[in-house]
Amino acid sequence: MRLWSPRLLHYARPEWRALLLVVLLAVAVASVEALKPWPLKLLVDGVLNGQATPAIDWIGQLPGAGTPRGLTAWLTGLTVVLFLLSSAFRMLQAYIQIGAGTRMMYQLGGDLFEHIQRLSLRFHVRHKTGDLIQRVSVDSRAIRDLLVSVGLPLLTSSVTMAIVFAVMWRLHATLTLIALGVVPILLLAIWTFAKQMEDRSYAQSELQGRMMGAAEQTLAAIPMVQAFGREPAEDQIFGELTAQTGRAYFRTTISQLRFWIASATATAIGTAAIVVVGGQNVLDGRLSLGSLLVFLSYLTALYDPLTSVTYAFSGYASAAAAARRVLQILDVRDQLEEKPDAIELQLPPSGAPSITFEDVSFGYDPANPVLQNISLTIAAGERVALVGASGSGKSTLIALILRLFDPAHGRILIGGHDLRDLRVPSLRSQIAVVLQDPYLFPLTVADNIVYGRPDAKRQEIVEAAVAAQAHDFITRLPDGYDTVIGERGVTLSGGQRQRLSIARAFLKNAPVVLLDEPTAALDAETELGLMAAIDTLVKGRTCVIVAHRLSTIKGAQRIYVLEGGRVTASGTEAELLTDGGVYRRFHALQRGPNR
Amino acid sequence: MKGKYWRLLRYALQQWHVLVAVAVLTVLSSALLALQPWPMKVLVDSGFGEAPLPAAWRSAIDYLGLPVSGAVVVLSVALAQLALFALNSAVEAALTVGWTVAGQRMVFKLTVDLFHRLQRLSLLFHSRRPVGDSLSRLSEDTWSIYTLTAKVLISPAQQMLVLAMVGTIAYRLDRELSLVAIGMAPFLGASSFYFGRQMKRRAKHTRQAQSRLTSFIQQTMSSIPVIQSFGSEARNRRHFQVLADDVTWWAQRGTLFSSSFGMANGLITTTGMAIIMFAGANRVFAGQLSLGSLLVFLAYIKSLQQASESLWQIYGSLKPVEAGIDRVLEILDTPETVADQPHAKPLLNTNTGAIHVRLEQVAFGFEPGRPVLRDVNLEAHPGEMVALVGVTGAGKSTLVSLVPRFFDPWSGCVRFNGEDLRELRLADVRARVAVVLQEPFLLRLSVADNIAYGRPGASRAQIIASAEAANADEFIRQLPHGYDTEIGERGATLSGGQRQRISIARALLKDAPVLILDEPTSALDAATEAVLLDALNRLMAGRSVFVIAHRLSTVRRADRIAVLEHGAIVETGTHDQLLAARGVYHGFHALQFEEPRKQLA
Repeated sequence: MRLWSPRLLHYARPEWRALLLVVLLAVAVASVEALKPWPLKLLVDGVLNGQATPAIDWIGQLPGAGTPRGLTAWLTGLTVVLFLLSSAFRMLQAYIQIGAGTRMMYQLGGDLFEHIQRLSLRFHVRHKTGDLIQRVSVDSRAIRDLLVSVGLPLLTSSVTMAIVFAVMWRLHATLTLIALGVVPILLLAIWTFAKQMEDRSYAQSELQGRMMGAAEQTLAAIPMVQAFGREPAEDQIFGELTAQTGRAYFRTTISQLRFWIASATATAIGTAAIVVVGGQNVLDGRLSLGSLLVFLSYLTALYDPLTSVTYAFSGYASAAAAARRVLQILDVRDQLEEKPDAIELQLPPSGAPSITFEDVSFGYDPANPVLQNISLTIAAGERVALVGASGSGKSTLIALILRLFDPAHGRILIGGHDLRDLRVPSLRSQIAVVLQDPYLFPLTVADNIVYGRPDAKRQEIVEAAVAAQAHDFITRLPDGYDTVIGERGVTLSGGQRQRLSIARAFLKNAPVVLLDEPTAALDAETELGLMAAIDTLVKGRTCVIVAHRLSTIKGAQRIYVLEGGRVTASGTEAELLTDGGVYRRFHALQRGPNR
Repeated sequence: MKGKYWRLLRYALQQWHVLVAVAVLTVLSSALLALQPWPMKVLVDSGFGEAPLPAAWRSAIDYLGLPVSGAVVVLSVALAQLALFALNSAVEAALTVGWTVAGQRMVFKLTVDLFHRLQRLSLLFHSRRPVGDSLSRLSEDTWSIYTLTAKVLISPAQQMLVLAMVGTIAYRLDRELSLVAIGMAPFLGASSFYFGRQMKRRAKHTRQAQSRLTSFIQQTMSSIPVIQSFGSEARNRRHFQVLADDVTWWAQRGTLFSSSFGMANGLITTTGMAIIMFAGANRVFAGQLSLGSLLVFLAYIKSLQQASESLWQIYGSLKPVEAGIDRVLEILDTPETVADQPHAKPLLNTNTGAIHVRLEQVAFGFEPGRPVLRDVNLEAHPGEMVALVGVTGAGKSTLVSLVPRFFDPWSGCVRFNGEDLRELRLADVRARVAVVLQEPFLLRLSVADNIAYGRPGASRAQIIASAEAANADEFIRQLPHGYDTEIGERGATLSGGQRQRISIARALLKDAPVLILDEPTSALDAATEAVLLDALNRLMAGRSVFVIAHRLSTVRRADRIAVLEHGAIVETGTHDQLLAARGVYHGFHALQFEEPRKQLA
């Protein structure tokens, strides 16, 4: 099966020593457990019924074991020793097992985490964040569960059963066969009920997922929910899902109960049969009472592993489902992968690179192209503005320069290199970007600003904030630069958030600067100050700025007008105005009716 | 501390009829547990040994007309075992069903109540809490009510019952041996106490380490574009590993401790068992005790051990339960500050349905001592459009969020047609207000469902009409499934301007007399904005409108402009009046307009 592909087992390899040790310890535990009923047998037979103890005569050699009292003392002491041995083994096994299991799980989770981070935005626009989080933090447990809750129990149970079976066989072959008679019934029970238990528990977790999905969606949009008075409607939806989940939960329990009753009945009948046949044997003197007692306690030792194998199988189903979810994402290959021979982007120390689009087309899905046949060149150190109606593809064009996507057709060059020939980190490290959505982290203000350069000094952070006109409001926050921002940054206004993201770009100090509507949420006064700051930021750098406002575009050496994913006009502001095209209309609208 | 348990136990007590059945069954199952070793005793003593059968047993065999031979005794013992098993299974099955029914009902009832409350808490509450946190309270912490009932109400009673029953029978069998058995109890108690405390601490550390890791994953996954732009993938991976190692370390320590506890407990009971075996064997040897009774004793010691282990587990699991309960109660106890007053009045419609909105000396802030709004007086008459202008952070968005009563002011009041909002029914107030917020908050529904969010019964024609008015119809029709296209997470795949237009369509469809537009056009280009503003202008007739905007093209259409500075209104008037006054607004205007014009000239 695909799950046992080398990919998953690869995670077990670094832990093979630990896993081997766990198996050896499990065998040791099973062996000691098999010895546990013996002191009682020896006591009953040897001391109380006065029979000889031929099997284990070394006990008789112990000092003082000659008297019944002395032998009793030794035998009771032996129970304590056996207990200590088995729990020491168990303890060691649990310790090693949890360590190996957790390490494997986080190794897989970490690889998945890294992989997801590197997947292109094309992937991310289609996958729900909550689902990805679930896969990294919960589904990666599959590797641990497959090995620790499924693989190891199967192995240990088999070993235990083999040992117990061997001992029982030597004690009494007929009784052993009777005990084994129950096994087919147990297997039948497993075969009958396992599928149902699996299906029902899957249905239950699906419903639980839907229930939480509904809650998440509602709580994430709480301002809208309240403004539109939708609380009762959402209550009802959630209540219905809850009731359904409740029913599914009950059905799962019932199917587990059925299995439990079936298997418990089988073992009870087995035990009763042993009592009848074994008892008759004792009466006939063919079996000692102690042996019967040992036999009865072995019976549990034989049946328990069988049951735990069943549970291991039902655990396998859910672990397998989770593993599939993990592999699904790990298997996603998108075109953003680096070529094996990708080179580092090296720019001369002084030099901002040129950026060229050669006949580039792109769409999130093939049927709906967002950009079509874009050809344009941004000279080294040039400042270029993109204008156009919303949805005309401006933000997408910016994302292509960052190589958040690859074009479907055509190519993009930076400093003469095709982006696809470059190592991704080396490309992105040369670009500072301010996105439409500022994406602040629930960290301190200072940590948010240093995001692109974790080693920056406080002095540099403050300078970047001053340049982005953010210093004043930051110092007014309760803890200044050490104020923690709420998850959705609600305690900051839109303009404040944007200025923090601009400060972050300032601090990065890269030769290419991309600004996607950096001032949309700002008032005119703040914008004016910020534009002055942006002027300093982009001096001598290659800059692309997307904007609606004329005041933001001002200062651009060249303007490209995008319409429906195509460049329909380009030139300096003066050229475009005399041209009488789209830009002129745009310009006139912006200024409003002449007064 | 006890008090809070009792409060949540209300949910358990609502299921009292099931719980009573559970309690009765529990008593039965304890009694069966005490009976279980007896057939074995009969077998050993009377079947194999010389002891006479117990009277009841004997009369049962006589009643069936069977001879009292060894074989018959053996058979009867096997049958007795089967009967006990059948009884026990029936009781256990009934217990499981009872527990499932009661547990699932109480947990889901609590979950629904919690969700109900969460939705109605003011934005002040939600702005400070990540959604993930509220979700984990809903999905995980609510189970603490079940654990609480099972572990605090029923389980101790059950274990005590077992101890008492088994203890009594054992005492009647052999006084001294029982004293030995009971003598183990203090040791078990002491070890539970010691380990329990240690485990609590470790469990807490493990949980904290895990939640640090989970929030790191969440924070990373929701900011992929910025992570890729800043190339922090490798750094994040290293940080992940550090956090994961921390979890592993704590998990291992926790395991070490719990198995040490198991070992200590086992050592105590095994020693006890060894002493009883030794002393018991001597008694059997001396003829003071039958072998069967010794076996019964040994079985009882096992039950005793299990009972005390469960009692320990109660102790160990109480701490996380306590934490879970605290987290549930924190929500349930957060007062709905924005809620209907006991005698809230309905908001009566005037003839036209129009609403006159008035803010009187309003002060408000999110944290005590840091007011965002100060002494704000502002009104909007029906048919009037009031524009709010001011620098970023001046309090514009906060001001308009008082109108749908997202928050209550610290002092002063907001009035609809002269009625204080706090005296009106909240649902009535919000039904009269349509909002377009800075962030569009689209849901993972189809475009049509998103537009109809405020009016679920709206017809397709009405939806399309609103979309047309919001200048959204054209791009919606170009989507793969038109109006039935499902919108991705956070509206991904749509551009900022498209999202904004859908949220405008949504507000338009609500058709409310009060309209709030918080930068409705910031993500739109000038051409789209102009078309939209014309549409809005038509729709604004007869409504009271508040608009926040930075662009003068939007602002100059307003009937009145209020200029905010540091939370206070410093100027009001029409565009011309304010320009003539040459105050703050004049400065704004110069920045936004005059300068580019000069440059062009």
